[in-house]
Amino acid sequence: MFSVKLNVVDTPGFGDYVDNNDCWLPVVDFIENQYEQYLRQEQQPVRKGVVDMRVHACLYFIRPNGHTLKPLDVRAMKAIGARVNLIPIIAKADTLSPAALRQFKKRVMDVIDAQSIRIYQPPVDSEDEHTTDRNKGIISAMPFAIIGSDREVKTEDGRHVKGRLYPWGVAEVENDQHCDFKKLRSLLIRTHMLDLISTTEEVHYDKYRTTQMKTRKFGEPKLKKNDNKKFREEEEALRARFTEKVKLEENRFRQWEQRLIAERDRLNKDLEQEHNLVKQLESEIEAIVNSGSPNGKFFRK
Amino acid sequence: MAPSAPSITSNMSARAITPRPSSYRHKSEKRGMTYNIMLVGQSGLGRRTFLNTLCEREVIPATEAPNPDTANVADPMRFDTYEVNLEEDGTRISLSVIDAAGFGDGLDNTSCFKQLQDYIEAQFDEVLVEESRIKRNRKYRDHRLHVLIYFIPPTGHSLRELDIELIRRLGEYVNIIPVIGRADSLTVDELQTFKHSVMRDIDYYKLPVYNFCWDESDTEALKDNREVMDFIPFSVVTCDEVLGNDYDLVRVRRYPWGTIEIDDDSQCDFVLLRYILLNSHIADLINYTEDVLYENYRTKKLEVGGFGEGEGDDEDGEGDDDEPSTSARKQE
Repeated sequence: MFSVKLNVVDTPGFGDYVDNNDCWLPVVDFIENQYEQYLRQEQQPVRKGVVDMRVHACLYFIRPNGHTLKPLDVRAMKAIGARVNLIPIIAKADTLSPAALRQFKKRVMDVIDAQSIRIYQPPVDSEDEHTTDRNKGIISAMPFAIIGSDREVKTEDGRHVKGRLYPWGVAEVENDQHCDFKKLRSLLIRTHMLDLISTTEEVHYDKYRTTQMKTRKFGEPKLKKNDNKKFREEEEALRARFTEKVKLEENRFRQWEQRLIAERDRLNKDLEQEHNLVKQLESEIEAIVNSGSPNGKFFRK
Repeated sequence: MAPSAPSITSNMSARAITPRPSSYRHKSEKRGMTYNIMLVGQSGLGRRTFLNTLCEREVIPATEAPNPDTANVADPMRFDTYEVNLEEDGTRISLSVIDAAGFGDGLDNTSCFKQLQDYIEAQFDEVLVEESRIKRNRKYRDHRLHVLIYFIPPTGHSLRELDIELIRRLGEYVNIIPVIGRADSLTVDELQTFKHSVMRDIDYYKLPVYNFCWDESDTEALKDNREVMDFIPFSVVTCDEVLGNDYDLVRVRRYPWGTIEIDDDSQCDFVLLRYILLNSHIADLINYTEDVLYENYRTKKLEVGGFGEGEGDDEDGEGDDDEPSTSARKQE
């Protein structure tokens, strides 16, 4: 018996927009940030109290539309599956009839193979044959079809189970005929929990560490590229406002400059007028001096 | 096999909607009333099965398996038209259903709204041109959309950005009736909560869904119409199989934990919706499209572009043909 500190991170708002381009980037950034935090802690001199917040498993909920994976799912799963143990799940599996569900599972796996999406592959073989069979059963049920409910309801035959109550019956969560919840729970926190943690450490984290070490020196902080699209729009808006303000100020300066020039011209003109006046007076003096008047010798210097 | 008139109230005494006489608009009704419906919604919400269940036969065949190699690229939007001749309560309906496939399925769906708007406006423009002709085509078939059925995914929370934008942009061109597709994924409580949140969102954002009570002069129908509006958005479950023998056919959808009867109105609103679409409100929907929506569009168009006005002498029929369409194209 041992205790497990289970952390669950939810991502509300994913894929809810009209334009869902790059909506998986925050998820990818989060995963890489956790690796980064761990990397930094490992590089510290004192490594005793290391807090490990790395993501060991990512559950991707696929909408049960009955046809195939949507382009959003394909792109997002590719990006996420390359960095973490990705487990695809068919959510709200009680909207599909059993035949439709089987067909949908097959189609999803076909797309995952064709598009080279990397998902978590649990190890099959083990020493114990019972375990091998169970593992095979788990793998063949991927992607897991889930019905979610935390409420207890009463079925027609009087049992109290966790499930969803419809007018036409009760869809039970823990019934293997209705959905694969028990298999998924077993995989996540019983049979393959250790494998999930060790593959995260040995495969995904190691890959991240190697790529980072190649480009960065020991102890150097990570370069941040703030390429969030929503921020880009705000940045554009700010930039536009800034250029407008600059334009206004430039106009103001230009007008001021023009006023100064006009003032200078005016003053220059006045100066010239005064200069002309002075010249005129001087020439008058010359005239008086040169005319040889008796008072002239007083002016001569 | 046609279902009988259903009751509205879910628990109390059964009361039928008073059937209103369907109006015969033109003498050329022998081939049936012209009725155009468009189905819009993301893939997987049951649009095609809805049509098949509505017409009680397979109108749209099941799609082939999609190619896994192209799953990372979405198909562009296309408009597939299906023509069906129905007979409802003695009235013949020449139904034309347009399935807007590919809506909302891509990564970036901002161009979907413009495509839909362009399509609807193109149908209006056709009628505008036809009306301005000196010699009208007797066999002309009106393609104006009388109702747009929008499938909301059963998230159980509230309307998404995509839903709000669609209704907001197209509400002034066509009657929009919101329905919840695949409503069998919601329990009774969840369905009630979801309907309340959708109605709350519609009120808050003042979304222009079709107002059943638009004709205030028709007082006897007003009460019925108000009750019908309480059911918006209609929950729809579509038929997988038909069980039973020749006399007692039941349309169902089967699960390991139970079987849904499509025609049971305590389990979903499909029968009510069908009755509204094809029986009680068909005349209202057509009238509203022709008398209000089309007229508004026409007024706006003529005010802006001088479309067909001030032409002077209209002796030359051919000149009339070319002029309106070119000036319409100039508007774009």
